[in-house]
Amino acid sequence: MVFNSIEFVIFLPIVVLLFYLLPQKARWLMLLVASCVFYMWFVPKYILILLVTIIIDYSAGILMEKHADEPKKKKTFLVISVVSTLLVLFIFKYLGFINDNFVWLCQKLGLDVRTSVNIILPIGLSFHTFQSMSYVIEVYRGHQKAERHFGYYSLYVMFFPQLVTGPIERPGNLLRQLHEYKDFRYENISKGMRLILFGLFIKMVVADHLGAYVDEVYANPAEYNSWSVMLAMAFYSFQIYCDFFGYSTIALGSAKLMGFDISDNFRTPYLAKNIAEFWHRWHISLSTWFRDYVYFPLGGSRVKFGRWAFNILVVFVLSGIWHGAAWTFLFWGFAHGLLHILEKALRNRFPYKEPNSKWLGISLDALRIAKTFVLVTLFWVMFRATDFANMRDIFVAAVTNFGGGQSLAVKPEVWLYLALFILSDLLLFNTRFDAWCEGKPMVVRWLIYALLIFLVIACSSVNSFPFIYFQF
Amino acid sequence: MKKLLIRIGIIAVLLVAMNWVYTKWFFEKDLLEHSDIIELPRQVVADSCQVVYLGESSNNTYGYAESDHRKISAMVSAYFPKVRVGDMTKSASHAQTYYTMLKQVPKDAPVETVIVTMNLRSFDAGWIYSRLETALRKQIVLLQDYPPLMNRFLLAFKAYPIRSEEEWDAIARKHWKKDPLDFPYDFEWNNTHQWDSAMAWGGWHGFDGQRDQQLTELACHYIKSYAFQIRDDNPRIKDFDAIVDLCRERGWHLVFNLMAENVDKANELVGKDLLFLMKQNRDYLMQRYDTQEDVTVVNNLDLVRDVNFIDQDWTTEHYYGEGRHIIAHQVAQALRQYYPNEYQDLGLLQYEAGHYCFEGSEDELNVERPYSQTLILPADSLQPDWGMVNIAVEMLQPDTLNDAQIVIEKNGEQGKTSTYYDLGPQIQSIGKWEFATFALPIDSTFREAGQIKFFVYNPSTSSVRVRRFDISFRPAYLKPAVKAQSSR
Repeated sequence: MVFNSIEFVIFLPIVVLLFYLLPQKARWLMLLVASCVFYMWFVPKYILILLVTIIIDYSAGILMEKHADEPKKKKTFLVISVVSTLLVLFIFKYLGFINDNFVWLCQKLGLDVRTSVNIILPIGLSFHTFQSMSYVIEVYRGHQKAERHFGYYSLYVMFFPQLVTGPIERPGNLLRQLHEYKDFRYENISKGMRLILFGLFIKMVVADHLGAYVDEVYANPAEYNSWSVMLAMAFYSFQIYCDFFGYSTIALGSAKLMGFDISDNFRTPYLAKNIAEFWHRWHISLSTWFRDYVYFPLGGSRVKFGRWAFNILVVFVLSGIWHGAAWTFLFWGFAHGLLHILEKALRNRFPYKEPNSKWLGISLDALRIAKTFVLVTLFWVMFRATDFANMRDIFVAAVTNFGGGQSLAVKPEVWLYLALFILSDLLLFNTRFDAWCEGKPMVVRWLIYALLIFLVIACSSVNSFPFIYFQF
Repeated sequence: MKKLLIRIGIIAVLLVAMNWVYTKWFFEKDLLEHSDIIELPRQVVADSCQVVYLGESSNNTYGYAESDHRKISAMVSAYFPKVRVGDMTKSASHAQTYYTMLKQVPKDAPVETVIVTMNLRSFDAGWIYSRLETALRKQIVLLQDYPPLMNRFLLAFKAYPIRSEEEWDAIARKHWKKDPLDFPYDFEWNNTHQWDSAMAWGGWHGFDGQRDQQLTELACHYIKSYAFQIRDDNPRIKDFDAIVDLCRERGWHLVFNLMAENVDKANELVGKDLLFLMKQNRDYLMQRYDTQEDVTVVNNLDLVRDVNFIDQDWTTEHYYGEGRHIIAHQVAQALRQYYPNEYQDLGLLQYEAGHYCFEGSEDELNVERPYSQTLILPADSLQPDWGMVNIAVEMLQPDTLNDAQIVIEKNGEQGKTSTYYDLGPQIQSIGKWEFATFALPIDSTFREAGQIKFFVYNPSTSSVRVRRFDISFRPAYLKPAVKAQSSR
């Protein structure tokens, strides 16, 4: 079930209503059933994969706690749990990729190998496996008590608002809240509705309209002039942001309706002044996951520059592969890592000094924001391209076709939607839409709601663009 | 809770205001962009049409080399020069689309009669769950009976089935496996899937005994297109029922135009069992609709010969001019009941070279007068590229005691040889006009004969009546050398 579907429009109010009508002891069961229904709406049989990872990690948690005084045994259970979870991820996500590369290599070596692997990636696999792993690691580290109630643990992995594209939750936040009694509060309904409305606006009105132009250009870059290709590249930056931010915001809102606070995933990332800051603001739940479970164990930043650079590259390459089983994703992660290292090296060599003039400071900040946006946009080409050839075609078309090719005919209203979004992003710097609305007079608030409702219903794209992060 | 109710009230007021704004400034643009089929009923209204023909590509497709590009509906119109006939033609559409389009015709429009294409294949799972369904269903969301803003909401939130091509195919395959085929006699396969698999595995073998892969695939396609049985719960039945109700409500005469299928090829490639199902489904539709007051079903199922079908490698109802004309003639005869004074007789149909048809009169054949009208051809009139002959007979029998058969008699220097093809296995119903079709190779015995005769022969005391005897020559296998075109 996707958030911008009629099924979800019917499903969510029923779940919320039942949640408040049922006594606390029955709520987990209702939410678990609802989450199963939500997930099985896509491909029912894939719930079995979820069940396998849930059983393994649930058991591992209890066994680790039971053998808390036996480090070797404890570690063995951790390794079994992590390896088996990663194995599931490997089989469903990476086996086909590895097989294709193996076949390609064999053919290059003149060997006649024709194996093929056709496995459809279960939706949201990378998200819930990472969420499951974070639980096991937290229990291993002693930061989290093992969950004894199988139902609550299953619900922690499967909680429908964030099941398929995150945010990747930690047990310390979500599992704890699942046990708490949630009273009906108008405030939660109001905040939840605001977030859902805003999320729908940025997904359905902004991202999906832009997506149509992006798809057009990426399918035939050579047919467009360089300005149009560059415009499509910039549009993709906004498309992927609005698409993912939109989903995360609806997830936040859906959980909030029932009183659950799940983690923020974005904080105006395109206002970042450098790549490091960008990753503090983009897909925060994934960045912090890699930070806590990969980067810190590798030594983090408290090591020599060379080792630190290696740590950074490992994290970013893993992050790239996490997104998709393709060389373009790996390359994308590597490029981000490399830029991160380069920026740090430059900062070390030429430390930034705050200018004396306020306006000069603002201008410099604007330039740095623009520079980061341009670089991120260039990197998104690797992310969006279907393969290296497509990536090359885009870059070539962007710099060699100024004279010829057709222009991308963007409807005026799409510029308006984009402008509205950019304005909202500026207004929401370091805050959230629900909180931002709080301080506004009622008339202003309701005018904003009315505008958003109208835009979502009457001006949304009618093309069916699945959420981009569903594929991960 | 009170706070919440006030908010809900405000939202309700806002929605009413938004609906007004949307209807006034946005709806028309959306309609033209996302539901362009709306232009079809609007055109019909603008033209003040009295008769409206609703069809899919069968209406407006013609052969590449044809000079006559007229639609079936235009040909119907020629029979009624004083009646304004219009059409709503949309490729791949079906009863649900027709119903939606008809609903858009205002109640005060001067429409009197509606002709709705009834395509037998559209009742099959392959079409019901066709890959085009997502686009077709999306087209009709804005045209539903809700306030415009509600329709736009349903469109925005994808209140129509969005499935990938693979998902649609999987649903159709599931039905082919699940839906049983109940024959009144022993039949080897229980469902379409089994039958299709058997054909794919066993292969189609030509007269030379060799497996022909291209024709095997075509035979499989025929099985998947026609091996089904219409039941009351078929989604198309629901839609056609709704059309009947709508026409009744509006006071429109209703003519269902059951399109001709390539029964010659179905018989040639798959055999009488497939024809049995096609006829059984036809009978179901006739029984269900033709018996209703002010509803007429024009039965064209087996009227058009293989040679008149443009697509020889698919089951589409795309006809050359002759085929379109045959159907238009049939529809015109049905319309005569509503416009007797406006009808203009255009005379007998003119057939193309190599196509001979006796029609318009009935022969009663029995032991006293056993021979039908006879086609006599000198063998040297057979064109060098003709490799097959399709023979179709429309016959009515009062019982099954007759010995009716098609005879091909070849007279040459070495005497006379006759070949007999029994009509009994194909025509089994009693008191009903039924077709039997044969596809025969034109071998050397045809060309070596001096003269060839084709006739129906019944030496029995039990009479039969023959009203159509149709012989068409064609190349051995009509390759898809010419492509169909659409006039839209």
